Amino acid sequence: MTASTATKTPEKQRSKSSSLRREEALWGLALILPSTLGILVFAILPILGSFGISFTDWGGLSLPNWTGLENYKQALGDTKATESIGRTLIFTIIAVPLGLVVAIVLAALIQNLKLEKVKTFFRTLYYLPMVTIGVATALLFKVLFTAQGPINLPFNLLGIQGPAWLDSPDTVLSAIAIYSVWQGAGSSIILFMAALANVPKELYEAAQIDGAQPLRLFWHITLPMISPTIFLVLILSLIGSLQVFEAVLVMTKGGPGDSSMTIAMYIYKTGFNYFKMGYATALAWLLSLALVVLIVLQWRLQKSWVHYE
Amino acid sequence: MNNPVPRARRERWSIVVVLALGSILIFVPFYWMITMSFKTPDEAYRWPPTLVPETWTLENFKGLFATIPFLRMFWNSFWTSFLIASLNILTGAPAAYAFARLRFPGKGTWFGAHLLSMIVPWQITIIPVFLLIRAFGWYDSYMALIVPSIANGFSVFMLYQFFRSLPKSLEESVLIDGGSWFTALRHIALPTSSGALAAAWLLAFLGNWQSFLWPLIVLQSEEKMVLPVGLLYLQNQFSVNVPVLMAGATLSVLPTIIAYIFLQRYLTDAAITSGVKG
Repeated sequence: MTASTATKTPEKQRSKSSSLRREEALWGLALILPSTLGILVFAILPILGSFGISFTDWGGLSLPNWTGLENYKQALGDTKATESIGRTLIFTIIAVPLGLVVAIVLAALIQNLKLEKVKTFFRTLYYLPMVTIGVATALLFKVLFTAQGPINLPFNLLGIQGPAWLDSPDTVLSAIAIYSVWQGAGSSIILFMAALANVPKELYEAAQIDGAQPLRLFWHITLPMISPTIFLVLILSLIGSLQVFEAVLVMTKGGPGDSSMTIAMYIYKTGFNYFKMGYATALAWLLSLALVVLIVLQWRLQKSWVHYE
Repeated sequence: MNNPVPRARRERWSIVVVLALGSILIFVPFYWMITMSFKTPDEAYRWPPTLVPETWTLENFKGLFATIPFLRMFWNSFWTSFLIASLNILTGAPAAYAFARLRFPGKGTWFGAHLLSMIVPWQITIIPVFLLIRAFGWYDSYMALIVPSIANGFSVFMLYQFFRSLPKSLEESVLIDGGSWFTALRHIALPTSSGALAAAWLLAFLGNWQSFLWPLIVLQSEEKMVLPVGLLYLQNQFSVNVPVLMAGATLSVLPTIIAYIFLQRYLTDAAITSGVKG
C-alpha cells in the first residue's frame, strides 16, 4: 500500500475545501452520465410520452388527435377489459398463495437438512427453471398439460380421464398458475432459506423444552420470524401475477375463447395486434394505478402481521 | 418426548421423502422434454406413453435445423446478451459507485430515475420506446435490441447496494494521496468487488437471454431473430409435431442449465442480495 494515512492529516483538512467539493461533484456527474442518459431516454421519456399518448387516439401511424379522457372513459365501459381484469385476479388468487405455500414449505424442509452439500443440491434443483428460457419451458408445459401428458398419468392410473388442461375454460387459468409457480418457486425458496437461516436457534430450544410440537413451533416461531420475507415475496409475486403475460402468449394466446385473456395480454393485443396505441397505454396506466393501490394497501396491512425486530 | 431418537429419524425420513417428491416435480418435466425429443412421432403420441424411447432417433433435431436457423438464433441470443450485460456493467458500475459514495447535485433525482425505470411496468414504456426506435430507423436491427438496454436500473441498484457495504477507508487513503475518484474506483473499489460485478453481469445476461417480448416486437428478419422468439416461430410452424418442438426446447434449455450448475454460487448470492429476480 502506498498510502500511509498517519502523516496525511493536513491534507485531510483540505479535502473539505470547495475546489475538492467541486471536483467530487464533477466526477459524480461524469460517472453517472452514461447510465443516466440511457435511463432518461429509454425509461423516463417513454413514461412521460406514454402518459401523453394515453390521452390521444393514436394508432401508431397517422398523427394523433387529442381526445382527453376518452380512452379512460372507454376503459371503464369496456367489458373485455373488465373481464380480463377479473381473470387476472382469479389467476392471482390461485398463483400467489400456491406459490407462497410451496416455497415456504420447500425452503423449511431444505433448511432442516443437515448436510450443506445436500442443501445446495436441492436449492440448485428448484432454481433450475429460473435460468431457462421461459418460452421453452412454457412450450414444454403445453405438452405436459395435454390430455395424454404426464400430469394426467396419476389420474389415468386411477382410471379417470384427466382433462386437456389448456383446452378447457375451467382449468386453463389453474394450469398457467401451476406453470408459473413451477417456474418462479426457485427465487422465493432462496429468499425464504436465507430468512430461515437467520431465525435464532435459541427460540426453538426454549420452546422445545416446554414440549412444543414441530408444527406449533413452525406456526408460532418460524412464520412470525420470517414474516418480513413473506411480505417481500408476497409483494413481488403479486406484481408478477397481475402482469402475467409470457406464459399466456406462449401457451394459449388468451384462449380457449377469451378464457385466459389476462389484462397484460389484452393490453398487448390492443396495442400490437389492433394498433390502438392510445387506448393500450391508457389501459397500461390503469393497470399501474391498480398495482400502486394494491402495494400501498399491502403496506398498510403489513403492520398487523409482519413482525420486525 | 420419551424416545426422541426414533422421532428425529422419522422426521429426517419424511423430509427426504417430501424433497424427493418435490424433485420429481422438477426432474420429470425436463426428463419428459429430453426423451420426447428423441422419440419418433409415432411413439411420441402413443398411449400409454413410453418412459424410455424404444427407438432413439435424431430426426427431430434434423427437423429443427431444417425449420428454423437454430444455431444462428442461438448465436444471436448469445452475443447480444453478452454485449448488453457487459454494457450494463460498464455504465452501471461507475454510476452505482457515484451514487453510493460521491456527493453531487441532483443525486437523489437521478437515482430516483434509475429506481423508477426498474419498477415501471413494461406495458407503460413499451409503446413509446417502440415509436422511438421506429423514429430512429432502427426497426428490425440489432440497434433496436441493444441501445434501449444499455443502461440497466436493476444492475445499478444491485451494485449500489454492494458498494455501500464496502469499507471506505481504502478509497479515502487514495484520495488523501491526491488520487482522483476515478483512481479510487478503478484501483480500489472495482478490484475488490469482482464477485458482485460477476453476479450483476450474470443476472443481466440471463435477463437478456430470456427476454422475449421486446425482440418479438422490434425484430422481423429470421436471420436476426433471437432464440426465445425463434421457439415461438417453431411452435407456429410445427404445432402438430411435438418431438421437434421438444428438440428445440431441449437444445435451448440445456446450455444454461449446465452453465448454471458451474456458476450457481454467484447467482444464488446475487438472488439473495437483490431479492428481485433470477
